[in-house]
Amino acid sequence: MSNDAFEQEALSYIDPLYRTALRMTRSEADAEDLVQETYIRALRFRAQFTPGTNLKAWLFRILTNTFINAYRKRARAPETTELDDVDEFSLYRRMSAERPASSSPDPEREFLDGIVSSEVTDALEELPEKFRTTVLLDVEGFSYKEIAEMLEIPIGTVMSRLHRGRKFLQQRLYDLARERGIAALRTAPRAE
Amino acid sequence: MDCDDCVEKLYAFLDKELAPTERKEVAQHLADCGDCDDNFVFEARFLEVLRDCGTSEIAPAEVRKRIVERLRRDSPPSTL
Repeated sequence: MSNDAFEQEALSYIDPLYRTALRMTRSEADAEDLVQETYIRALRFRAQFTPGTNLKAWLFRILTNTFINAYRKRARAPETTELDDVDEFSLYRRMSAERPASSSPDPEREFLDGIVSSEVTDALEELPEKFRTTVLLDVEGFSYKEIAEMLEIPIGTVMSRLHRGRKFLQQRLYDLARERGIAALRTAPRAE
Repeated sequence: MDCDDCVEKLYAFLDKELAPTERKEVAQHLADCGDCDDNFVFEARFLEVLRDCGTSEIAPAEVRKRIVERLRRDSPPSTL
């Protein structure tokens, strides 16, 4: 692959890299710096990339490494939350239990159809860092194995972070939907 | 396979990360159990919403421009 072709293909991934950086750093300026740094490193170390392998995954590996190194340096104390309180949460079960009080014939669908992008991005940004990073890589379509390699963690850890991260997002998006007062949830009791 | 075993494999199933034998067992349970099937359908739709909403954003044109300009400045194509 020529240098120009490599650069061109690498730049075709700027959208997924930028939005992931934005959710990771929660700052437009930091996201731009992070993506810039990712590309600078990618071009500097491009000899380490094996042509024919997944360039998007290689770039995301650089992005996550750069972010984690910078983030861990800045963080005063390591995060201790494991989100274990959401482990058993099931929004499906909760909505099934609340269905008799709902005014909608299909509250689950109404809830899902009512979710907007800004709520998802806000909820993603509320996730603790290690869960956020794992969920963001999943949202971009990487497999458990690819995420495990990027983050240098076992596949079992990827699975438990995804499980808890998704449960957290469900709970948060459900709370947001109730604050918005969607019809399906209007008559539901505020049971915690 | 009972409902608890099935729900435990829910995300691995939806993420297409189960081995073929396990995948078949879950699929069989879903065919037999309406409640688990409804639960899986709900979770599948939820993951779809996450992916759709989570991947809709693109880099602003000016950010893209600045990044490309800096790359060209730092490492012009001829010296890469």
